[in-house]
Formats: sequence, structure tokens, C-alpha cells
Amino acid sequence: MNRAPIIFLGVFCALAFSFVGLVLTNQLTYGAFTTHVDEDEGKAFPLQSPGLAAQGKLVYQDLGCVSCHSQQVRREGFGSDIGEHSRGWGERQSVARDYLREERVLLGSLRVGPDLRNLASRKNADGAEFTADWLYRYLYDPKLVVADSSMPRYAFLFKKQQIVGQPSAKALKLPEAHAPAAGFEVVPTARAEALVAYLQSLKDTYAYPETKNVYTPPAPKKTEEKKEGHK
Amino acid sequence: MATVSSHTPELTSESSSSHSAEASLIDASLRTPVMVLTGSALVWLLIASVLGIVSAWQLHTPSFLDSCEFVTHGRIQPAQSNAFIYGWGINAALAVSLWLMARLSRGVLPGSGVLLLGAVFWNLGVTVGVAGIILGFSTSIEWLEIPGFASPLLLVAYALIASWSLVVFRAGRSQEIYASQWYLFAALFWFPWIYSIAQVMVVFSPVRGTVQSVVHAWFSSNLFLLWFASIALAAIYYFLPKLLLKPVSNYYLASLSFWWLVIFGSWSGISRLIGGPVPAWVQTVGAAASFMLVVPLVILAMNFYGTLSGRWSALKESVTLRFIAVGILALTLVLVASVLTSIHGVAALTQFTFVTTSQAQLGLYGFFSMVVFGALYYIVPRVLATSWASAPLANLHFWASALGVTLLVGSLAVGGLTQGKLLADASVAFTDVTKATLPYLFSAVVALVVLAIGQLAFALNFFWTLSRASAPAVRSVRVLLAAQSEATR
Repeated sequence: MNRAPIIFLGVFCALAFSFVGLVLTNQLTYGAFTTHVDEDEGKAFPLQSPGLAAQGKLVYQDLGCVSCHSQQVRREGFGSDIGEHSRGWGERQSVARDYLREERVLLGSLRVGPDLRNLASRKNADGAEFTADWLYRYLYDPKLVVADSSMPRYAFLFKKQQIVGQPSAKALKLPEAHAPAAGFEVVPTARAEALVAYLQSLKDTYAYPETKNVYTPPAPKKTEEKKEGHK
Repeated sequence: MATVSSHTPELTSESSSSHSAEASLIDASLRTPVMVLTGSALVWLLIASVLGIVSAWQLHTPSFLDSCEFVTHGRIQPAQSNAFIYGWGINAALAVSLWLMARLSRGVLPGSGVLLLGAVFWNLGVTVGVAGIILGFSTSIEWLEIPGFASPLLLVAYALIASWSLVVFRAGRSQEIYASQWYLFAALFWFPWIYSIAQVMVVFSPVRGTVQSVVHAWFSSNLFLLWFASIALAAIYYFLPKLLLKPVSNYYLASLSFWWLVIFGSWSGISRLIGGPVPAWVQTVGAAASFMLVVPLVILAMNFYGTLSGRWSALKESVTLRFIAVGILALTLVLVASVLTSIHGVAALTQFTFVTTSQAQLGLYGFFSMVVFGALYYIVPRVLATSWASAPLANLHFWASALGVTLLVGSLAVGGLTQGKLLADASVAFTDVTKATLPYLFSAVVALVVLAIGQLAFALNFFWTLSRASAPAVRSVRVLLAAQSEATR
């Protein structure tokens, strides 16, 4: 029993070591990180996301989208996120400052579906932008837009209603086979609208000082050039 | 069928050991709390395995149950992991650690009211939490999805249970402090620390930006290493020498591996953020700390394989030993995997793929759960002063678990590597990557069904044994018979 206090002290110090080293140090150093004020544009980056998008993020959270989608673009040398011959998931790697205004950071741990960090600045497989209309139809039934999609349908975010007077401007343009009965239309609910607003706000295109001059591993060709140089 | 054959000694209570009087007194005092914790753990295990099968089938066939928002994959998957971790894992870990603590410090439990209250609160908290996730109140933070209105209840309940374990330690008469006790002692103290820090810094008053990710990586890797792995290691250090009737090989190194694991191991999990939007030094330190896991890996291997070597035949006779041997193998693999995946080149391939899922399953199921199953096969009959109702069910449980976990971890690992390789090749369309993983996801579902069969066998056996033991008339006859056979020996 005599050694119990010593073991207890050791056990306390051991975890205190990593707690201070990792949690506190990071909180005290880059936890105080601030926005980047761009004098030319007169704005502080990252920009505050609009209110509807903030609501949409809550929908994203409650539906557990993070189970299958990451929100983190890795630098060159990690998979094929960015750079030449890549999936083009962003113009640059994600940096800590991108997440500064986010109350909940959802980096994710699995890519069953593609990364979504820069969805709004990307082009889809057909080379077009991810418009609200595209996203609504994709959420309603992914196979309508991407034949091989492995995402479940989020049809419960939409409602079928009777057309009263003029058809709604928000009504989904569905192909014949999936269209509702005559006199009815499918419109997004408030949650779907918020979610789509959030997805359309996902864009890290601003170049911070720390995203410039990032070291990228040299391409293998360089060695040949060197040899030529020696000659 | 209902009786256990005589050559499986650990399936029956020990009536002939030297400390038997004291041991059975301790066991009797633990009866109600250990049974309540184990029983609720098993119910959660069954719930988690149903949710797990649904969630895995949804990965394979996305349209499955996608019309009702409460059973979509995004809800079921976190509900499953939280039911498994907090419902099964922590209940079972508390049951095992309470028993080990009492036996090792030779302390009789002074009343169990507080413990039972704690157990009720804990299970209430997990129920509210899992229901909250299903209903859409998830925090969306991996392993911390339980909404803020349930997690304080969990902390209070934990405090009640853990403080009582320490009371047992203080009440004990043993002068020595054995390796198992270091791990138990440490784990009981660490969990509330990491859990409350994660709650405060990530859920209740979130820190800025990706500091959250650092805190979260620190929490989730330590939840595995400093809680689940510690409790399982405590059980291995206890049962291995006890069942093999020989001391742990190279025991003098055990304290080095303990301190090494807690001092450097607690930094290692941060390596999962490699390549992420966190300071470069954090990633480097994480990778270095992960590499240092080689030291405890070697020592633990020397301790455990050294003790087992030459005694492999004992595995045939003891269900507990068989489960623990599989657990030791999984521990070795999980530590090797943590070292490998902290290497830049490997991480670039395995990050964000099913390899990470496979690693988590290997640690939580292959290592922790297998060791705890083994421990429970020893503990339950002793606490109930009876024998297991069915030996065939115990065998079925072992083989289903061993096969299931091998298939699950194997198919997810191979599927994940395929996925990582194809993801890195931008000329392969994303939908084709998903298609290529489908056969592996299918075999993962098969594996989960096999695991569920094993778990069902275990739960049946447990509740059958419990109902037999709680029928007083049956018990007294059993005691008489035992006394008779003792006398004739």
C-alpha cells in the first residue's frame, strides 16, 4: 500500500504531460489564432458564413453526414486531393485558419463519399458547377443525377404537395418516371434549403499567407535535369 | 447438455483453492453490482450488434432503410459506436475492473448501494444518449456523439462507480501492488479526465478551429489506449499467470512498459491528424510517439507470449485462456498497425479509408472485447457460486467471435487498402472506388452476422446461468451436491 501514492502521482503526471503538451500548448498557441484582415478587400478571412448556411450545418450534423464525408483537403503527396492529375478537391490544402469561424470542426475520418470542403468551388463530373438545383435533385434521389452514386436518398427532406394556382418556383424538375402524379409537385423543406445553402457555402479559395510557398515534394524528373547541369 | 464436463475447470466456481473462503466472501459481496453491470453490458452488446449489421448493410446497399430519417446510416452508425463503447465497453470494463480490484487488493465490498445507483445512472445516460443520436441531437463528433444533455449524467454515474472501486482498493488487506492494479488504478482515474476535457473543450464550449481536432484526437486515442487497453491489460496480467499456474515471464519489465505506454503512448494518437490542418510539430510529435510504441509492444510480447510459450495445450482446456490468447494476438497487431499508419507514406494511403475502421474494430473487438469475454467466463460463475449453464454455447461463442473478428478486420483492411490505392489514382472515377469496395463490405456484413451469433450464444448462456443461480432452491441443492462430491474426493 505504501507505493500507492507514488503510483498515483506518476499516473497523474503521465497524463498531465500529454495534456499540457498537446491540449494546453495548442490551445494557448494557435488557439489564439485570429482572422486574416485583407486591407485590399477590406474583409477579414475566413468570411462569416450566412445565417441560412449556419442552420444548414446543423442539419448536416444531425443527419450524421460526417460518417461518410470528410472536410479536409490534404496537401500534395497525400493521395490525389489536389495538384496535377488529382481529383481537384480544392485549389490548395486546408489550413488551420480555414476552420477559425466554425463552432464545430467536422474533419471526418472516412471518405465513403467524396470530400466536401470545397464543394462550392468545384465542378461536377459533367464539368458544371454544383447548382442548388443539382444539389436538390441529388439529395432527393442521387441516382437521378449520378447513375452510380452510392449515397442514400434523402427524400424525407422534401415534400410532395398539391399545386395550387401557379407551380412553385422551387419545385424539383424530375424525369418522367420519378415525377409525382399530375397536379402535384415535389418541393424542398426548410431543412433541405438550409442544407443546400450550407453545401454551397463550402469554399476555401482565399489564399492566406501560410498557404503560399508551401513546400511540395520535387517531381522525380528533377534528377535528370541535374545530371544535365553537371555535364 | 446443461451441465459442464469435468475437464473444463475454469467454467465452475473454485471451491478447492487455498484462498477459497476469503475469495468466495469477496465474490459474494460483488454479486449484485457485477451482475447488473455485466447484464446491462450484454444487452447493449446485442443492441450494438443489430445496429452494426444495419449500418454495415447500408454501406453495401445505400437504399436500405433510407426513407425514414431515424434509421439512416448517418444516425445508425454513431448510435452503434456509442452503444458499443459506452453501453457494452464501459459497463463490461467496470464489471471486470471492480472484480479484479476486489480480488487483487483482497477487499470485501462494503455495501453496493452507491455502485448500483451509479450503474442505473450510467445506463440511463447511455439510453438517453443513444436515443438522442437517433432522434437527431448528435454532436457529430466521433465517439462523442452523445448529446450534451446526456453526457453530464454519464460523468456523475462514472464518478459513483469508480470511486467505489477505489474504496474497495483502500478496504483491501493486500500489501503488494501488482501490475494489473497499476493499469486499473490508472484507467479509473484517466477516463473522467479525458472525457470531461473533451466534453468541455469540444462539446460545451468549443475551442477555436482545429484545436478541437487536436483535443478530439487526444481524447479518442486515449479512450482506447488509457481506458480500454489498460483494463484489458490488467485482465491479461491477472488471468495469464493464474490460469497457467506460472509467473509472468520477464515480469520485471512490466513496469517499464506501463510507464512507457502512459507517458509516450498518450501522445501517439495525434498522429491520425498527419497531413491535416494542424501545426506540423503536432503531426511530427504524434508520429514519433507512435513509433515509440515499439518498446511497450516488445515488452508486452515478451511478457505474454513468454508466459504462454510451451503451454499452448492449456488453451484447449480453458475458454478464458482461448479468448485471452486471441486478445493478445490482436493487441500485437493493433500496436503494429498504429506504428505503421503513423508513417507518412502509409498514412497517405490508409487515411480516410476502411483501414481506420478495421483498426478500431481490431482494438475494440479483437483485443478489448475478446479479453473481457474471457475474463467474464471466469468471473461470472465465481460471483454466482455456480457453473456456466452450457459449455457448447461457450464454445460456439468463442469460435463465432474468433472467426467473425478475423473476417471483419481482414475484409475491412483489404477493402480499405484497395480503396486507398484507387482513391490515390485520380484516373479512377470516385463511384468506381466505391464499387471496388463492395465485395469487402459484403463480407464485413457476413462477419458481423457471425459475431452476432456468438454474442447471442453468450447472452443466452449468461442469462440462463443467472436465472439458474437466482433460483434459491436449485442453488442449495447444487451446494449440497458440490459438498458431497468434495467429501467423496
